[in-house]
Amino acid sequence: MATARAALESLLRDRKLDVTLTTARPWETAAEYQVAATGLASVDRPLGGGLRRGHLSEIVGVRSTGRTTLLCRAFAAATRRGEVVALVDTCDRFDPVSAAEAGVDLSRLLWVRERGDAVRALKAANLVLQAGGFGLVAFDLADVPPMAIRQFPATTWLRMARVVEGSQTAVVLVAGERIARSAGGATIALDTPAAEARGTWTGSGDRARVLRGLDVHPRVITPRGR
Amino acid sequence: MKIPSYDDLAPSIPDVHPRDTFAGVTRLVHEPEAPVVDVRGRLAAPAAHALFACLRATTTAAAGGVLALARDFSPRIERHGDACVVLDVSGLGRLLGDAHGIAAELRRTAGERRLGVRLAVAPTHTAACLLTLHGGDDVVVTGDVGAALASLPLAVLDGPAHATLLEVLRRWGLRTVGEFAALPADEIAARFGALGIALHRVARGIDARPLDPHPGVPRFVESLELDWPIEALEPLTFVLARLLEPLSLALERADRGAVAIRLALRLTDRTTHARLLQLPAPMRDARVLRTLLQLDLESHPPSAAIDVVTIEIDPAPGRIVQFSLLEHATPSPETVATLTARLGALVGEGRCGSPVLLDSHRPDAFAMTRFGPPVRVRAGAPGEPRRDGGVVLRRFRPPVAIRVAVDRGRPAHIAIDRKGMPGGRVERAAGPWRSSGAWWDAGDARWDRDEWDVALADGSVCRIHRDRETERWFLNGVVD
Repeated sequence: MATARAALESLLRDRKLDVTLTTARPWETAAEYQVAATGLASVDRPLGGGLRRGHLSEIVGVRSTGRTTLLCRAFAAATRRGEVVALVDTCDRFDPVSAAEAGVDLSRLLWVRERGDAVRALKAANLVLQAGGFGLVAFDLADVPPMAIRQFPATTWLRMARVVEGSQTAVVLVAGERIARSAGGATIALDTPAAEARGTWTGSGDRARVLRGLDVHPRVITPRGR
Repeated sequence: MKIPSYDDLAPSIPDVHPRDTFAGVTRLVHEPEAPVVDVRGRLAAPAAHALFACLRATTTAAAGGVLALARDFSPRIERHGDACVVLDVSGLGRLLGDAHGIAAELRRTAGERRLGVRLAVAPTHTAACLLTLHGGDDVVVTGDVGAALASLPLAVLDGPAHATLLEVLRRWGLRTVGEFAALPADEIAARFGALGIALHRVARGIDARPLDPHPGVPRFVESLELDWPIEALEPLTFVLARLLEPLSLALERADRGAVAIRLALRLTDRTTHARLLQLPAPMRDARVLRTLLQLDLESHPPSAAIDVVTIEIDPAPGRIVQFSLLEHATPSPETVATLTARLGALVGEGRCGSPVLLDSHRPDAFAMTRFGPPVRVRAGAPGEPRRDGGVVLRRFRPPVAIRVAVDRGRPAHIAIDRKGMPGGRVERAAGPWRSSGAWWDAGDARWDRDEWDVALADGSVCRIHRDRETERWFLNGVVD
């Protein structure tokens, strides 16, 4: 029995499914090569170092909760490590100027600009993942109507997770609501602060006020429910 | 006392390499590492049917065309600097006749191409080369080479390696090559050594070594004329594969990679459908090249059925990249080229790649470039992000027209007709930030606007602007 269990755990570990299906191993801090750190301590710490490579994770939240800010921080951290990253931008919303200010090395970014066709964007994302060699691949569906996303076959995300399984690529979906994550992936839910608290504003008075950025309030949901 | 001949002196004669020329004059260099050429037989009697032509450009403009002219007449050519080419025309007798016929044909072709060249044809390439250094007329020598060179001034032998030797000869009163050639070889050897005897041999028009043909640049071209015209692209891929495989093999043998592929499809309507694919890095994998051509043709299909397929490859030396175990693996150039070609076919050309910021204050100023990540992290790459995180926008392209209610000069309420867009009462606002530019441009390039950052009651934080020319309001993007 013990031998069979050890064999099963070994098999799961090879498939990087051990953190999900076994109860023995906690969600512990992983080696650097196993995770893609986002550069935000409030996200990396509960994730055990960062987004799991070879797994599908998601960043979800409503408008102005910092989804793109978090994504740009993750891109910046990856490009600083010398990795190549890709963004499949379904609605062409990415702003290179603010991304460069956030620290993203744009020469290491492959930006695929789709005009709103989610199906075509999905094909593009599959092409990027199958090519391999990227450290972080983001599929931005944040401005796609939820109805259009729900029309994807249920196996879509399983297939996507299968493509990157065992690779060094961390895949992240950016969306308004939860879509899918793979067995070892995580959901980073960005909570909505009070409306009057949104954004970091400096300066007193109407004339002197300046918007400095957004406060990101991430809540990490791992497969173990933490 | 026995007078030594050239045969006795030959082992000590240094090699004369016409490539080592200075100002068009043969320079004598002793090259101990160079393979020893057995010159004894050639010294005594040059090959009976040997015939060489020398073309020397007289103008800078002609220098480029001389090499092409020589290649059109003979595959065995030797370059002497940029302006002079010696070619072996020994085998042209059947086609063009004797030496005079060959010279006439060379002169006629040079005239057609409007190349200013001096031309000499002689049984040795040394003589042919020397004869183009003086005078403007074409020279054809079929008999005694020494006699043909005799009238040339001694200056044609000038060169930095033996300037002292020539100065001594001038002090002796020698003025022509013939006067120098008439001196006894043993006396020259006794007084000037190996350098002197080598120059003496040149003065007599004797080749010290055979012609050293220039390997040239091979062309990588494959063409196939089809028995039946091809209308669909799918069967064309088999033809492309058949042409690319030998090309890939040839590139591998030459240690070259393709940096550009020129595809020419002759169509049944007698037009040619030409495509040029620039590759991000030298590559020679036949499957990759075929896929790239196939994807390009899917985006740019020919207008009619295909009769003849021709592929030409621009070669370049292969890549030598030292990878590090400490660096992250990146996609190979072949993978990137295939991926971007597939993505380009899917989402449209110019809609995938790397963004590059433009040196402009225009909002959203960027351009798309080919995705080709550097192997190593650049020294000037962006460092740590701003401590406050900065404002990261999700831009609307083009900006969305909105209706804004203004209270005491500040936006108070935003309304957008489109569904799912932010809108509502303005809770906070920062601005205006005035920006303008390209006022000299009469078209759409100019801008003059007041920008605001606003927090709305629905929780959205947006960037809006008022166009100062049209007084209309637009939503630039959402801070996210």
